[in-house]
Amino acid sequence: MMPLRYDPDKKLHQFARVLGITIVSLSLLVLVWWMIALLIDIPYLPTPVRVYDAFWRLMEFGDVATGLTMGEHVQSSLQRFAGGFAIAFAIAVPLGLAMGYSQTTEEFSNPIIEVIRPIAPMAWAPLFILSMGALLGPMMVVFIGVFFPVLSNTIFGVKKIDPYMVDAARTLGANNLQVFYKVMFPCTVPFIMNGIKIGLGIGWMCIVAAEMIIAFGGGVGYFILTQSQIGNWSNVFVGLFLVSALGILTTGLADRVHRIVVRRVGME
Amino acid sequence: MNESLSIKNLEKVFKTEDDEVVAIADFNLDVKKGELVSLLGPSGCGKTTILRMVAGLLEPSSGDVVVAGNKVSGPGSDRGMVFQEFALFPWRSVRKNIEFGLELSGVPKAEREQRANEYLEMVGLERFADARIHELSGGMKQRVGIARALANDPEVLLMDEPFGALDAQTRNIMQKELLKIIKRTEKTILFVTHSVDEAVFLSDRIVVLTKRPGSIKEIIEVPWPRPRDRASPEVTEMRKSILDELEKENVMNDD
Ligand SMILES: Nc1ncnc2c1ncn2[C@@H]1O[C@H](COP(=O)(O)OP(=O)(O)O)[C@@H](O)[C@H]1O
Ligand SMILES: [Mg+2]
Repeated sequence: MMPLRYDPDKKLHQFARVLGITIVSLSLLVLVWWMIALLIDIPYLPTPVRVYDAFWRLMEFGDVATGLTMGEHVQSSLQRFAGGFAIAFAIAVPLGLAMGYSQTTEEFSNPIIEVIRPIAPMAWAPLFILSMGALLGPMMVVFIGVFFPVLSNTIFGVKKIDPYMVDAARTLGANNLQVFYKVMFPCTVPFIMNGIKIGLGIGWMCIVAAEMIIAFGGGVGYFILTQSQIGNWSNVFVGLFLVSALGILTTGLADRVHRIVVRRVGME
Repeated sequence: MNESLSIKNLEKVFKTEDDEVVAIADFNLDVKKGELVSLLGPSGCGKTTILRMVAGLLEPSSGDVVVAGNKVSGPGSDRGMVFQEFALFPWRSVRKNIEFGLELSGVPKAEREQRANEYLEMVGLERFADARIHELSGGMKQRVGIARALANDPEVLLMDEPFGALDAQTRNIMQKELLKIIKRTEKTILFVTHSVDEAVFLSDRIVVLTKRPGSIKEIIEVPWPRPRDRASPEVTEMRKSILDELEKENVMNDD
């Protein structure tokens, strides 16, 4: 039999290698967790087996404490997350383009933005949630979290536009509007995408945190909080893993979109 | 009308914080239809400034630019421009770069494609129609730049050191390529260069510029038909006399 040798030029070998190392590293994490859990033996740190059992129980019977299914919790979180993200995107991109393009717009908007930017998104949470409720409130927290990275990356992108490209478009007959959407926008897309990637990460942190101070309405953060209050630590761990899995999913999706867009735009 | 381009009493003063720089002063030039006129001068003498004012990208401090009887008041598709930096749109394919101007003026898709094909063929890039810009060599990029400007069928083609970023060999190939294009399209061209060799090889007339403020030092007719032999005695002689002239200009201004 031929001995199997690692060939870094083969895609399949590369993939197998990454997969192998990932499995080993995650197994090690579980193993260490298991050992510590057995050693210190306190209710706050259940063993992997108990968390695994809790997971299937929750999938089957739902979250008995609130009467919601796990699917409903996940759906609430994703809905708030998507809503906040969409609003932030819809405002930050046009505003960023305008601020990068027109000095007056930038000079006008900058003081306002610099005053609001240092406020941690979570600091708004009590206000938003009490005034706007369990759906819109956390959504607005996500909005704040996503808004600033998308805005500053868009502005940065506009400033990086090659002025010769704009000149070329003008000599080819482009008016201001055409320069805007035929040159400036496509030039800025990779930067906007970068802002979105950063914003998605921050937004996801925001949503879980914001859900922890709502009194009803479901959500993964809400689930973690209520389960802590009744001391079901296995369920809390299930919640934590859900946060992780959904976070990986959303940023992974953004990564995918980013790569496709950048390839289509042919930049970077 | 015999003049494609007429520049009258053009002047440009750049105002900086604590200084005023007279970049162009008292510049007058008429370019006939189908003529290739070069602006020749050392770096910083104001060649780009003149070209950008003709393009409408820069406002003159005083004076007029008239193209085919119309006074220039901003950029327009009657004046195509080719940039030393290429200034292509990297998110568009070669073909889509060439179609850009036609898209802006609302030319229907079928006609756009047909016009693009025509110019792709003219610059020898048929096989690269769907290529991405970053896949092209420098010479190929500038072919796209030229095709893109020509696709609008401008009255005047403005070229700002178009081959300045290319290696010597590619530069020579591109100069010959340009001559072929001129023969087919009979375009009026205002061509900026700091290479005496390039100016003598390509031009009907060479406008030699003075150092700052840039104005006309001398206009030289190049009488021989194209293509020219760079090594022929009369071409060599003309090159040498212009070089001497430029050197004198430099010495005079440096002390
Ligand atoms: N926007 C500007 N502001 C101030 N000075 C400028 C500006 N553009 C060009 N100049 C000056 O005008 C002169 C001519 O520049 P330019 O037309 O680029 O020369 P060339 O193309 O012949 O190298 C230079 O001395 C340059 O420093
Ligand atoms: Mg120049």
